[in-house]
Amino acid sequence: MTITINGKETALAESPARTVASLLDELEVAQRQYVTVELNGEILDRDAFGNIPVRGGDTLEFLYFMGGGR
Amino acid sequence: MDTPLRFDSLLVHGGLEAGPAGATAVPIVQSSSFAYETADALEDVFRGRAAGQVYTRLGNPTTEALERRLALLDGGGTAIATASGMAAITTTVMTIVRAGDEVLASSSLFGGTFSLFRDTLSNFGVTARFVDPLDPESVRAAINDRTRLLFVETVGNPKLDVPDIPQLAGIAHEAGVPLVVDATVTTPYLADGAKLGADIVIHSTSKYINGSGTSIGGAIIDRGVFNWNSPRFPHFETFHKKYRQFAFTARARKLVHKDVGACAAPFNSFLLTEGILTLALRMERHCDNALALARFLKAHPKVAWVNYPGLEDSPGHEVATRLYGGRYGGLLTFGTGAKETAFRVINALAMVKNLANIGDAKTLVIHPASTICADYSLADKALMGVSEDLIRVSAGIEDRDDIIEDFNRALDAI
Repeated sequence: MTITINGKETALAESPARTVASLLDELEVAQRQYVTVELNGEILDRDAFGNIPVRGGDTLEFLYFMGGGR
Repeated sequence: MDTPLRFDSLLVHGGLEAGPAGATAVPIVQSSSFAYETADALEDVFRGRAAGQVYTRLGNPTTEALERRLALLDGGGTAIATASGMAAITTTVMTIVRAGDEVLASSSLFGGTFSLFRDTLSNFGVTARFVDPLDPESVRAAINDRTRLLFVETVGNPKLDVPDIPQLAGIAHEAGVPLVVDATVTTPYLADGAKLGADIVIHSTSKYINGSGTSIGGAIIDRGVFNWNSPRFPHFETFHKKYRQFAFTARARKLVHKDVGACAAPFNSFLLTEGILTLALRMERHCDNALALARFLKAHPKVAWVNYPGLEDSPGHEVATRLYGGRYGGLLTFGTGAKETAFRVINALAMVKNLANIGDAKTLVIHPASTICADYSLADKALMGVSEDLIRVSAGIEDRDDIIEDFNRALDAI
C-alpha cells in the first residue's frame, strides 16, 4: 500500500494491523515524545496513536514544534 | 548509551553529539542563518517536517547542545536558552499570561524580577501580587481565578529565605496553576526541577552554570508535566491539542521567544557548555567556602548578624537541609550595624571583588541597598530583606583561608 508522509509518497508492506503508533515504530521516527501527527488534515490525540489504523491512500504529517527537531 | 548516566557524568557528557572531525567540545557555530540546497528542503524545516536550523534567533546548533544538556540536568523535558536570566523570566511569563491575568510571586524576589513583575508587566495589563513564600496558607489564599502562575526562587536573593518548594508545588497544582521556580542560586546540583516539583525551571546561567563571570545567559526548562488543558488557559488550547505536555514550549518557541528575539549568542552558549562540565566540583567548593566564611563572621565581634542557610540557627536551615542534601549554596549576608561600616568593610577588601553578580569563581560582595536595590522604597527593601547594613557575599572557589583573611583584615577597618 502507498501512503503520503510529509508530502512524499511512501510504499509500505500491506498490514491490516498497522496503527499510527506502530507506523512511528516502523519508520523509526525520531523524538517520538515531541512529534505531532496529522492524519488526513486532522490533528490526532496523542493518547490514541495505538488505536488509529493507517490505511492505503492516507496522508500523514509528522510535525515538530521547532526547527531543531524538538 | 543504554544505562542512564548519573548527574556528575551528565554534566560532562549529557546531550553531547559527535562534532565535526571527532570534536568532543561543543563546536561554536557562529552563523546567523543556515542554507538549504532546495526551496522544498527549507519549506520542510519551516513547517516542522524536518529537523534543521533556520536562523540563530530561532535556534542554533551550539545553543541546542546547551539546551539538551540543561533539560537533562533538571530531570528531563525541553529547554530554551535565552540572552539573559531576565529574558528567560520575561519569555516565560509572556508565554503564560495575557492582559487581565495575574501573576502570584514570592515577596522576596531578586530586584530585577520584582521590577519586571510590578513595574513593567503592569503596563500591559498584568497584575503581580506578592506573598510570603514561607507562609503556605497565604499562598493558597492568594490564588484566584485570574492567577496564571506561581513564581518563587529556591533561595531568595538576597533575603536568603528558603521556601518549601514541593509544598508550594502541591498548593499550585491543587488550584491548577503552574509553578515556575527560579533555581539560579541552588542550580540543578543542589536539587533538580523534578525533585522540587517545579513545572518550569528558570536559571540565570550567567551565575553558577557559567561559573567564571564571562557571559550573560538564561534558561527555561519545561519539564513537560503540567496539564495546560484547562479553562484557566484557553489560549493554550491549540498548542495543547497539537503538542500536549509540551504546549508551553511550543507556545514559547512559536510565539514569544521567536517574536521577542532574546536569543542566546552561540559563543555564550559554548562558554556555558564549558562551565557546566565543572558545576559539581565548583558548587561543592562554593558551599564549603560559604559555610566556613559564615561561621567565621558569626564569631567575629564586629559582625552584628549573619544569615546563611547552612548555619543551624538560620531560619531557612531546616527546609534547606531537607531539600538540598546538606548543601546550602554560595550566598550569605551579614551586617555590621550601619551602612557606613558596611562601606568601610567593602572598601578595605583586597582580593574580594565589589560588583553586581553572584556565582562567579571569584568571591564577590555588594551593598544591595545602595546599588541593585537603590531604586526601591524602604518598605520594598524591607519586603526584600534588604537592610541598610546588609552586605551580600557570593563565596568563590579560592582557598578558604584567603577569603577569611581578607574579611578579617577588612573588619579591622571598623
